[in-house]
Amino acid sequence: MKLTGPLERVLRVMIADPSAPHYGYDLMKAAKLASGTLYPMLARLQEDGLVDSEWEAQREDAGGRPPRKYYRLTAEGLRVARLELAQAAAAAPARQAGYGATRPAPGSTR
Amino acid sequence: MSRAPLVQRIAEWLIRAACRRLPAEVRAEHGREWAAELPAILDDQSIRPPLRRALRALSFCAGISRTTRQLRRSARAGARRATLRPAPAREREYLARRAVIGFVIWVVVVLGFIAVISRRPGPPGWPAILLFAVAAGFDAFCLVDIARAAQVRYLPKWVWVLICLAQTPSGGILYLSIGRMRRPRPAPPANAKS
Repeated sequence: MKLTGPLERVLRVMIADPSAPHYGYDLMKAAKLASGTLYPMLARLQEDGLVDSEWEAQREDAGGRPPRKYYRLTAEGLRVARLELAQAAAAAPARQAGYGATRPAPGSTR
Repeated sequence: MSRAPLVQRIAEWLIRAACRRLPAEVRAEHGREWAAELPAILDDQSIRPPLRRALRALSFCAGISRTTRQLRRSARAGARRATLRPAPAREREYLARRAVIGFVIWVVVVLGFIAVISRRPGPPGWPAILLFAVAAGFDAFCLVDIARAAQVRYLPKWVWVLICLAQTPSGGILYLSIGRMRRPRPAPPANAKS
């Protein structure tokens, strides 16, 4: 699995509360993603067994709203997500330090 | 359903149109999932004014269209990997046999056409009309077959459509002999397996 920026954002949202189910629009708003990015990603994650989905039970107070499909990380998905995000976090400060080091100091001739 | 606002109905229609790209067995489920998101977008009070919510719903549908296109692409890539793997030698033999049969049919059709033309010089009469009807029916048959096929060989579907239309009946015969894929047999009933 290659950790792209959008995927990282989705995983961060889902890992914030692993037991909370998310529906598509909820994830779109929380991760600030377009539907054309999110749904192919969810399909792939589901195919890889990292994400599970279930239909919402029809509730009385839904006001005629059609049932939603909710997504949740599987145990394997939670493990992989924690690993990937930890690796990304470990790589990020190094990148920032490298960037800062090559930046010319204020007042230098360059 | 008729009580739903116009934007919602348009968006539901767009989602249904996008879902037609998906295989029949997952089409309904995806369609229901995405249509169920629409009320959440259209009632999202954090987006103001309502016009922006409507635009958001329509851009959601555009993303769904991109999604189904991508799902179809990856499904086709998977199917291609699956069909290319087993017994390529047998597959080649099968294709060669079909090509020969197609060529023979083509020769018979062309010779028959020439024979009809040379026998009846002069203004075309009812045989020409009959011939035209048969040709149109054959073209229609080929186009329907292409449209219903999950996958066709060698060329994209639209190229096969152009070939069939450009050269009646040779294009259609060419498609049926080498472009058409074998249809998978309908799955046996569940109780037959156990």
